[in-house]
Amino acid sequence: MPVISLFAWMLVIAFLAFIACMFEDLESDIGSQSNPNSQIQLAPEMGYIHRYFNKAISGEGLSYALSCTIAGAIAMLMLLKLEPMLVAKGMSLGYAAVLAIPVGAAVGSLVHMVRASTCYVGREAAHKRFEQPIYLDVFYGHLLPIATHNFMAVICITAIAYIQSNLGLLSGVAGASNPFPLPLLCLIWGLTVGAIGSSTGDIHYGTERAFQDKPFGEGRRVVYHGQICRYGDCGIRTSKDVAAFCAKYGGPATGLTFGLIVLFENWRTVIGMLLGGLSVEGLANPAVAAAGGIGIGIVIAAVLTILNRMLEKWTRNKYGPFVGE
Amino acid sequence: MIETLLLVLVCIIIGGILSSLAVHLMPVGGAPAAMATATGIATGCVMLMTGAAVTGLFTASTVASFWATNPSVILVALSGAVGAMLMMGFTMFVANLIYIFGAGVVPCSGRVAVDPITRESQTEYKTPRTDGHGVPTVSYVSGILGGFSGGFGGALIYVVLVSDSYAHFSVATAGIVAMGIFIANAIIAAYNIGGTIEGFHDPKFKARIRTGLTCALIVSVLCGVIVVIAMLTGTLVGGVM
Repeated sequence: MPVISLFAWMLVIAFLAFIACMFEDLESDIGSQSNPNSQIQLAPEMGYIHRYFNKAISGEGLSYALSCTIAGAIAMLMLLKLEPMLVAKGMSLGYAAVLAIPVGAAVGSLVHMVRASTCYVGREAAHKRFEQPIYLDVFYGHLLPIATHNFMAVICITAIAYIQSNLGLLSGVAGASNPFPLPLLCLIWGLTVGAIGSSTGDIHYGTERAFQDKPFGEGRRVVYHGQICRYGDCGIRTSKDVAAFCAKYGGPATGLTFGLIVLFENWRTVIGMLLGGLSVEGLANPAVAAAGGIGIGIVIAAVLTILNRMLEKWTRNKYGPFVGE
Repeated sequence: MIETLLLVLVCIIIGGILSSLAVHLMPVGGAPAAMATATGIATGCVMLMTGAAVTGLFTASTVASFWATNPSVILVALSGAVGAMLMMGFTMFVANLIYIFGAGVVPCSGRVAVDPITRESQTEYKTPRTDGHGVPTVSYVSGILGGFSGGFGGALIYVVLVSDSYAHFSVATAGIVAMGIFIANAIIAAYNIGGTIEGFHDPKFKARIRTGLTCALIVSVLCGVIVVIAMLTGTLVGGVM
């Protein structure tokens, strides 16, 4: 039964990872953070005055690592204070987490919102020479979506870190907890979630949404750079319209990436632990457990490489060589 | 004692050099890749490699805790390597899905006319006035190898720092120090690459790898010496966290 519980917690973690990365990508789309930001930054210089939100606090990985670590540190401080009080009253330790995790995530999001504000005003002020105004309605209107999307991502990451650092206690399997403290786990997953959001979801925004008035099915030529699409289905486009578009493909695909990584990382470790004779008391044979996990991981990587090759071959046959000038 | 110190130093140097090699192997297109103007993953080298390496570090820390004392260095390092490899594998695969179905482009290399692994022509699939787009097979394989190398390097540094037969730092301190050494090497490598790189088949790789690895050696020796001083003075034994 404890081993089944371990698998169940693993699935909860994977689900939270999916939600976290999806919201991370959509938040970066709303704020035009990360790589497509180069186009939003370039647009006024090319004479394309726009109403997109413009922030590039830093790379997404570092920005999310900071938000998540702040959330993890606040949550850990609250847990350290609240848990002894609950123990003294004979109540479950879980009540402390129910309060600490959302409060930690809220502080992380507020700090993120402050950075987004200074970033937007600073960047747009620097564009004065290209006659790009600071639209206050764009500024105020985007802060709340940025904060709420960031909150969803950060709360999920903090919850993942909390579950992983207490997995032994939660599942009843000795030694299942990760040895890293909560803020360090938040840092690790914050970095990873940002790196994935930046690597995958940005493509849908940067290649397709930002250049929707250019021909579909080709890479964006250098001559198009800065010539972003500024008009929506009705009226002038803002970054909120970008999120609605990317939520249909780029965002969920990004969430899927992180969800699959977390799922398969934990899955192969737990399967390895089962091979190593996992019981409630712990592992009988650590070397077999580690080797089992490594073996499964190599097989998954080989399957992925084959799948990627099949996808590439299918695309070459289906789409054919580039047509046009 | 001297042997232990030397062993820690050597492992940190090996780990650092592998980290630098990993960054050079990454198919990184940076900002242009987000517009399908360059081949590779749409982010910076440091960001991508650090994300992969810390995923490996997470698994390595879990696997190292399987042993009550003296974790197996090679098995923990390999666990980290496979973790980073999987992170890279899933990221590149889904990036290709978005390139193909979200933007309608065919993955192709902009630096070579023929993919060295599949032997398929690349030029006619490339959009004119771009530097390629997507993650073709050769870049994918290079990324997988890079993930393996970087994950191995990061986890190797972590395990020698945390093991009670070597540096015996606390788990959190070992994790932070390993990440620090890794990121220092990754940033130096990123400066060496200076923009985008497609993988081991890119002419840039051959031209710059020697400089990159030499820099990594110097940085890693410096980091290793600091760790050795910390071990000798007992500053971080038992950990600050």
